Amino acid sequence: MDTIVCLKQVVDPELPQWDFAIDPATKRQVRMGKPLVISTYDENALELALQLKEKTGGKVTALTLGPQGEVKDAVRLALAMGADEAVVIDDPQSPQRLAADKASVLAAAIKRIGRFDLVLTGCESADWVERAMAPFLAEALGAACVTFISRAESRDGALSVRRTSEEGFQTVDVRLPAVLSVTSDEAIRPRLPKVKDIMAAMRKPVANWTRADLGAEDAGGAKGVEVKDVSIPERTTKVEFLEGEPAEQAEALVARLRALKIL
Amino acid sequence: MPGILIVASALEGSMGRSSVELTGAARNLAGPLSLPMSAALVGQGRGIGQAVETLQQYGVQTVYRCEHPALTPGQSDAVLAALDLVVTKAQPELVLISADTVGREVAPRLAYRLRAALATEVMSLAVDGRAVMARRQVYGGRAIATLEVTARPAVISVKPRAFDVPQPQPVRGTVEEISLTIDPEALPTRVREAQSERAEVGLDDAQVVVGGGRGVGGPEGFKLLEELAAALGGAVGSSRPPADEGWVPITWQIGQTGKSIRPNLYVAVGISGAAQHVAGVSGSRTIVAINKDPEAPIFSLAHYGIVGDFRQVVPALVAKIKAAKGA
Amino acid sequence: MSITLLRGAIVLLMLTVAAGVSARKLWRVYRLIRLGDGPVPLQPIGRRLSHLVIEVIGHTKVFRRFSSGLLHLFIFWGFLVLLSTIIQVFGEAFVPGWTLPVIGREPWFVLLQDVFIVLVLIGVAMALYLRLVVRPWRLVTQDQFGAYLILGFITGIMTSLLLSRATGIALGHAGWAGGAIVSRAVAGWFEGISTPVIRGVFEAAWWVHIGIVLYFLTWIPEGKHLHLITLGPNVYFQKARPRGALAAVDIETAERLGASRAEDFTWKDNLDVFACMECGRCTEVCPASNTGKELDPRRLHTDLRKQLTAVGAQLLAEVPPDEIKRPALVGEVFSEAFLWQCLSCGACVEECPAGNDHIDKIVGMRRHLVMEEARLPENMEQALRSMEARGHPFRGAAVTRTAWTAGVQVKRLDQGATAEWLLWVGCAAALNERNHPSMRALVSLLHAAGMDFGILGDAEVCTGDPARRIGNEYLFQTMAKQNIATLGRFGVRRIVTICPHCYNTFKNEYPQFGGQYEVWHHTQLLARLLEEGRLRPNGSLRTAVTFHDPCYLGRHNGEYDAPRRVLGAIPGISTVEMAQCRDKAFCCGAGGGLYWFEDRTGERVSHARTRHVAATGAQIVATACPFCTLMLEDAAAATNATARPVDIAELLAQSMGPGA
Ligand SMILES: Cc1cc2nc3c(=O)[nH]c(=O)nc-3n(C[C@H](O)[C@H](O)[C@H](O)COP(=O)(O)OP(=O)(O)OC[C@H]3O[C@@H](n4cnc5c(N)ncnc54)[C@H](O)[C@@H]3O)c2cc1C
Ligand code: SF4
Ligand code: SF4
Repeated sequence: MDTIVCLKQVVDPELPQWDFAIDPATKRQVRMGKPLVISTYDENALELALQLKEKTGGKVTALTLGPQGEVKDAVRLALAMGADEAVVIDDPQSPQRLAADKASVLAAAIKRIGRFDLVLTGCESADWVERAMAPFLAEALGAACVTFISRAESRDGALSVRRTSEEGFQTVDVRLPAVLSVTSDEAIRPRLPKVKDIMAAMRKPVANWTRADLGAEDAGGAKGVEVKDVSIPERTTKVEFLEGEPAEQAEALVARLRALKIL
Repeated sequence: MPGILIVASALEGSMGRSSVELTGAARNLAGPLSLPMSAALVGQGRGIGQAVETLQQYGVQTVYRCEHPALTPGQSDAVLAALDLVVTKAQPELVLISADTVGREVAPRLAYRLRAALATEVMSLAVDGRAVMARRQVYGGRAIATLEVTARPAVISVKPRAFDVPQPQPVRGTVEEISLTIDPEALPTRVREAQSERAEVGLDDAQVVVGGGRGVGGPEGFKLLEELAAALGGAVGSSRPPADEGWVPITWQIGQTGKSIRPNLYVAVGISGAAQHVAGVSGSRTIVAINKDPEAPIFSLAHYGIVGDFRQVVPALVAKIKAAKGA
Repeated sequence: MSITLLRGAIVLLMLTVAAGVSARKLWRVYRLIRLGDGPVPLQPIGRRLSHLVIEVIGHTKVFRRFSSGLLHLFIFWGFLVLLSTIIQVFGEAFVPGWTLPVIGREPWFVLLQDVFIVLVLIGVAMALYLRLVVRPWRLVTQDQFGAYLILGFITGIMTSLLLSRATGIALGHAGWAGGAIVSRAVAGWFEGISTPVIRGVFEAAWWVHIGIVLYFLTWIPEGKHLHLITLGPNVYFQKARPRGALAAVDIETAERLGASRAEDFTWKDNLDVFACMECGRCTEVCPASNTGKELDPRRLHTDLRKQLTAVGAQLLAEVPPDEIKRPALVGEVFSEAFLWQCLSCGACVEECPAGNDHIDKIVGMRRHLVMEEARLPENMEQALRSMEARGHPFRGAAVTRTAWTAGVQVKRLDQGATAEWLLWVGCAAALNERNHPSMRALVSLLHAAGMDFGILGDAEVCTGDPARRIGNEYLFQTMAKQNIATLGRFGVRRIVTICPHCYNTFKNEYPQFGGQYEVWHHTQLLARLLEEGRLRPNGSLRTAVTFHDPCYLGRHNGEYDAPRRVLGAIPGISTVEMAQCRDKAFCCGAGGGLYWFEDRTGERVSHARTRHVAATGAQIVATACPFCTLMLEDAAAATNATARPVDIAELLAQSMGPGA
């Protein structure tokens, strides 16, 4: 099974709140000097790809779109974990782009890579959480699509996957080629690379392409959607103490939770 | 009829609450943009008729009724096939879909097919001139982004529970039958079986987590927390001491050494709020702390604080939540 | 053929056979040892010899248990002295009545021999008392049969020697016996017994003596008695690099990383296992063993010896690699839990009379687990990942690296300032709010003393120490090289740090990669500033304090006094020592990367330490390590202990009064 895994590098989502700031110019999180990591679920996707490869053979290609100077670590980690090849598409603007825009570039890159049975993405990126990449790619590539899966098994030329749903899980049979988005699960906890794999990764091929190479022109924003504003909600986490007898306190809390749409 | 099309789902045989919420979301836009509201009703079974009525109750003028045995839970491909037909017919300006299991797959795919703009996981909607202003959480809830959607058509997926069920606004609408020819065998995906694990919501994925600390005092205390979690539809977790003491499984531990969670709601019960614990819950959207010590550091992090003995507070809370849900 | 000739011939034959057997066994042991590689450090001869004299002849390590030390001293020195009698007895086989030239007939020398015969017998009696009546755990769990056998042999050798000396005197052919008061006294018992009988007893004793000695000779190269031969060299070749430093591995060229087979250790590790006398002192002091964990540093050595012997035999017989029969060293012989429970606290190393290094072997196997198999406890893995991605091991830390500087004046080298000293904060102090008061106190003290210092701010990244202890040598080296480059860029030469782990890494490990600095622990610098009068505490604290020695300041770097000098300089403080203090201190539970993972079997190491603190009745446990502070704080809260940890810097700052 030949698999392409799309990896995105994001600013460490576990950064302390103090360190979190929005750059008014880009309307995105300040990246300068912040640690970058592979977006959480993308690593699960890579792990799943590697496990499938271990069972059925084939090749795993890591594909990433981002400012070339920044993505080295992500690519190195993916190769060390066991990806066979990597493709980097240099796009200094990518942190500002929305999924629809990036999907067209990634789809062009996947077509250029050529053969694939499966494309995997994370179920959501840790920063922008659009949850749209896998369905977009499926459409662009004419492939089947299932999102939020956590397990996949190969069954006579097709796949059987486990999708997380509101109620629990659904087992879904998927024809190939397919684009799947992956969520976390104990069984696909990203592996820690072995040192010899880290060394070997240095010799694995990495292709460097640009947006222009792929013929994707700079659309400068995604088809009629513009990010107008990104603001940090005033964390006036002044705690509101709910006073009274337990029953009154409970009543007050229920009202607050309803206002927050949690109840 | 160009207008706002909502995707109403009766895949389970009847229509759920989130479809009704969509009518509320659509109303925010329909008025200011003076657009009519229609619905693509997808599903099967006896509940469909009732669903049509409900939609009309909530102001949907035209219902495109797509009924087919293949329109079952999780069958995104079948839903998409139905929507293809509906949008061709209705030519909507805006499509609103609930961002549930099916919706989060279908919304981007439909947008792609319509060459439409897309905004996902939206929490609130407003109109500015002709533009739709959609607000949603980004960066794990640390920030709110406002998207200006100017293009038409546009597909918007709405986070379940983000909108209230609106007041009914009955209209005498029309129903258009869409005749579908879906060959289930030909669909690229097929749901083979569904497993309900509601009771066992994993900590990682739970949207509501009730965390218990040393203050809970023992396994009996955790029984109370499990009741609270069940009422909230969430999972139970713990700080380190209860896991240490064997009151709860080690997999329940939250914090630096345990799990990192980012639920919508975290209720910390009998937890002091040590940094190592907070490290695992700081991504939670809303934090409620129940602690008998008003000086406990957890209160500097919490949004709502209840000072008191959890043995009294928690049962009271369970009762109120049940009452609220019943209503 | 004369009877003398015949006797000589028989003894010669026995000697040849025994020496041959012994030599063959020894040669095998030698070849087993040489299955390991690694350097043979002969230099510095002076220091190595002095160690040899102090530890072996002087028995300093053995004396850490007084009665065991004394009895062993009797037996050990007895053997040194009585080697002379053994030589004499063999000489007698050829020349009746032969004694050592020059001193053999000196009355004092003969007396010395007699006295030691008695002392050795006393030693044996003490040993029996210890084993049969006192029954300490470490002996009860030993190979008891072997121990009694050897005691039997010693008794046999001594009594037969005494008898042969006494009967020799009684027979009147001992012109040497002037000083032999004991032998003469025993000879007195033979008065009135007929000569042929005495003669018979003499012969019997003489032959028994020779027989046991020779049998003993063939027996030494087996089991724990081998230490008679291996211990000297083992102490001589003891690790010369600083105690706290682990050996570097050349990642690029190494064929296998870490140790997963008996033959993967260095020759010195192998010598260790053959020098182990199974005394169990290491296990007796090991905080993991003491809190009910599986880790057992003695078993580490005895089982490695078994494996090396069994597997080594097949290797030496050139059995093809895939046909060698062996259990998995990592996983079967030593479970993963066993290996992850080690705190690298060095208590075992400090205690071991054989000069063994337990930590090297455990880290060796961890290296295999981490680098070859990528198998390690999840939370340790998270810490390592965090080090890689964020430059610190505290995943999910709620504060930034420089958050503690809010409201204090510190120069930032990363923002262009220059300073004479680099104040290295370290991740444990910077990223855990609990330690921020200690940092702020230290800064106020350095200011008060007029020190010119600055911090690296955001340019600081973890020294790599946790990675090294956990076994990820690759990550450690990457970070070490990165830090050395950073420090070079900022022209850093003098470093003061609040964290003993950082201190140890800079001082003892970075030189392996070319980073040479003058490194001070904050307690050392504070002690110095106090002595120079640059800090003058005045306010009285009036409290009872006990000091918890951090392993990486104390045992690994030999600094026990500086922190105590600082405490001593604070007016009003009374210090109470714990029973387990200084080189006998008990780890807080965070060492060896175990801050990020603690096995839940048995008691928590930190809770045990809190009990030691409580036993002193002190109100405060003074700390000198941010990790210790975190562990002891948590343990005190969990056990409802009253004494809370406070860093020495904070105590000193409090006594400086307001405005200081
Ligand atoms: C290396 C290390 C790693 C750690 N990792 C973690 C981790 O992953 N997760 C974690 O949680 N901790 C971790 N800790 C421990 C952490 O520092 C705290 O000790 C721990 O979180 C405290 O747990 P707690 O709040 O439940 O208990 P406590 O601090 O003892 O707090 C109990 C609270 O319960 C309240 N209370 C008591 N009775 C009642 C009652 N009847 N009703 C209401 N409230 C009551 C008290 O007022 C108090 O505030 C770690 C510590 C270290 C050193
Ligand atoms: S270093 Fe410490 S924990 Fe490890 S074996 Fe030795 S005494 Fe035990
Ligand atoms: S390793 Fe050292 S301390 Fe431990 S049993 Fe052997 S000789 Fe004794």
